[in-house]
Amino acid sequence: MAENKKYHLSEKGIAYEQERIEAAKKNPALFSELYDKYFEPVFRYMFQRLDDKEQAFDSTQQVFLIAMNNLPKYENRGLPFSSWLFRIAKNELSELFKKEKAKRTVNIDSVKIYDIIEEIQETKIDKYHDKIVSIIGEELNEDDLQLIEMRFFENRSFREMADILDITENNAKVKTYRVLDKLRQVIKPI
Amino acid sequence: MKRKININRPEISTDEITKQKDFDNVLKHHTGATKPFFKKPIFLSSVLVTVAAIVTTVVLLTKSPSNNHPPELAEVQQPSIINEQSSIINHPCINPPLKEINIPFTSFKVTAEKGGTLDFKTGSKLIIPKNAFADAQGKPLTGEIELRYREFHDAADFFVSGIPMTYDSAGNKYQFESAGMMEMQGYKDGEKVTIAKGKSIAIEMASPQKGTEYNLYKLDTAHNNWSCLGKDKVTKEQKQNGSGVAGFGNEQPLVTTEQRQELQKIETKKEVVVKEKETRIAALPKPAPEPRKPVLAKNDKRTFDIAVEDKEFPELDIYKGVLFEIGQENKDFNPAYYDITWDDASLKDGPKKGINYALTLKKGLKTYGFIVYPVFEGKDYESAQKTYQDKFSKYTATLDKRKADEKRIEEEYQARIIAFNKQQEDLMQEWKKQQAERFKQMEVQDKVSRLFSIASFGIYNSDCPKSYPQGVLCTATLIDKKNVPLDCYNIYLVDKARTALFTYYKNPVEKFTFNPKSTNMLWTVVNGELYWLKPEEFKDIKENGKVMNLVLDKVEEKFTTVEDLKAFFHF
Repeated sequence: MAENKKYHLSEKGIAYEQERIEAAKKNPALFSELYDKYFEPVFRYMFQRLDDKEQAFDSTQQVFLIAMNNLPKYENRGLPFSSWLFRIAKNELSELFKKEKAKRTVNIDSVKIYDIIEEIQETKIDKYHDKIVSIIGEELNEDDLQLIEMRFFENRSFREMADILDITENNAKVKTYRVLDKLRQVIKPI
Repeated sequence: MKRKININRPEISTDEITKQKDFDNVLKHHTGATKPFFKKPIFLSSVLVTVAAIVTTVVLLTKSPSNNHPPELAEVQQPSIINEQSSIINHPCINPPLKEINIPFTSFKVTAEKGGTLDFKTGSKLIIPKNAFADAQGKPLTGEIELRYREFHDAADFFVSGIPMTYDSAGNKYQFESAGMMEMQGYKDGEKVTIAKGKSIAIEMASPQKGTEYNLYKLDTAHNNWSCLGKDKVTKEQKQNGSGVAGFGNEQPLVTTEQRQELQKIETKKEVVVKEKETRIAALPKPAPEPRKPVLAKNDKRTFDIAVEDKEFPELDIYKGVLFEIGQENKDFNPAYYDITWDDASLKDGPKKGINYALTLKKGLKTYGFIVYPVFEGKDYESAQKTYQDKFSKYTATLDKRKADEKRIEEEYQARIIAFNKQQEDLMQEWKKQQAERFKQMEVQDKVSRLFSIASFGIYNSDCPKSYPQGVLCTATLIDKKNVPLDCYNIYLVDKARTALFTYYKNPVEKFTFNPKSTNMLWTVVNGELYWLKPEEFKDIKENGKVMNLVLDKVEEKFTTVEDLKAFFHF
């Protein structure tokens, strides 16, 4: 499965980002560079989980506003800045769903479902496609859905998933494979 | 919640996304903080200034004239322990859960205009520059200043102090994992003093943590949060008496009791394998006794023809026409005996079993004993030769097979024993490695100091924000032994492997997580009484999606010092 390589910044890259963050702490206008860099990834993260495009754009703006307002508190933990932004985005989405201002949406690319089927080592792929879509859409809990979404629909590495979900990389891996196991168990009786 | 599912929704192009960017709009709405007005610095500053002004006025009006006379100057003195709580302890931000105990301050005396270096019992150093103190109005102070200092290094310290160990970063709650926390306050004649403008006190805090991932935070009691001040510096060359650092240098034996038990388990497996080998070998088919090569009777000797019991001498049973010849060793044999008709003749195994036999002859009351050898004559000899060839080849084939089987069993056994030995060796190596690592760490730990300087008194923490422990996740209701839910708010998870105090805020605890591989405890206080969940009871907490009822024990012991509490909880 092709992973998103952009996330894995080198130490130099993280250091450069940190420099920009420190500069933006002193002069908020300098935050524009980080905004430009991360607007699209954050928007895609939001839109993956929302139905309405306009709402996704508005919420993305809100994520950056929260980030800017809280920038003085931001501290470098050796992770790419994006993991912090995604966490804010995750909280923002939780709020939207909790207050019922948006409906939790799962946007599925059919091809990615075949990736999942391949991952759970089943061969009769056409037979399982619809069942998996239905399980993902209706039965998986939010935490499990996040894992499947990030891993398969957004091609995120386990490391990036771990940073966003605030768990260890190994934990992200174990949890994802547990969800795949669940899927395997559910489709077995078919 | 039922979700909406979109299959193969058209992708949005990067161009379209780019067009929607509007940084100016974000900048326009940027406030610099998301806090309500009453929490904004400007509001708080004005409140603090007002409070300071009122306090100053009251102090000036009520100060007795004697306070204006500086006391006799004193050099840095030996510290004394005082069990007084922090002056800011009454602030809701800091809430010691147990009224009877707290981390005591150590009191130092220093002459303001001389400064000095103070040594704390943990190995920490406090370096006070000259003229470092001022009164509330910023006026430099001279004379004797009392510094009250204390440190916090483990979950028990954090717990009794009531100092919050949570950190809010942009709405994300983190738990502090500490490399050491300290509080320092300054007094002159019982009144609080400040650190003079432009001066700072250097702290070299002894720490068991050598990592550089820690930041320095100051507790902002007004905002009930920690302010990040940047990174502290770590030095590993600081010479100090390691044994003086409480709890940092407990050497462990090469093999612990648990490890010895683990080795013994493997030893038991080895014993089982030995028995298994013996049983398998014993179960192998046994070959018939080796057939004896038939011997031709000598012409010059006569023989006895004795009826032999088949079962008694199976080695003879295979042959027909066996006769017995008197051996050379029978010096007293009289050839005339051949002509006697004996009343009875019997055979037993001789001194060389299978080769010779003891013949007993009876006549009337007389009994004679001789050593005899089996022999054959004529055709019986030829027949016996053939039988022997046949039996001997069968015997050797069976024997060879048995030897091969025994060898195979022995090799399998040796392989298993070698594997067990290797397993033991590997464990020993691993433990030695771990021990070496521990010793290495302890060596480093003994020398680690975290260096920072403070420009104001208060509580400082060298910390790293971390998440709650991972592992088992459940919802837990804390109840007492009468099955009554405990009326508690602050619930503390102690993971002994970590220098942190993980706090949950209501009962039942939703999303209660812990690392099952660690030694864990839960503490909470209800009406001043301490309750706890013992480490062994964490084994029964399963992640099954149901709400777990956790029965906490009331701690009946009355602690008078933090050391009592630590001893009780095996810190």
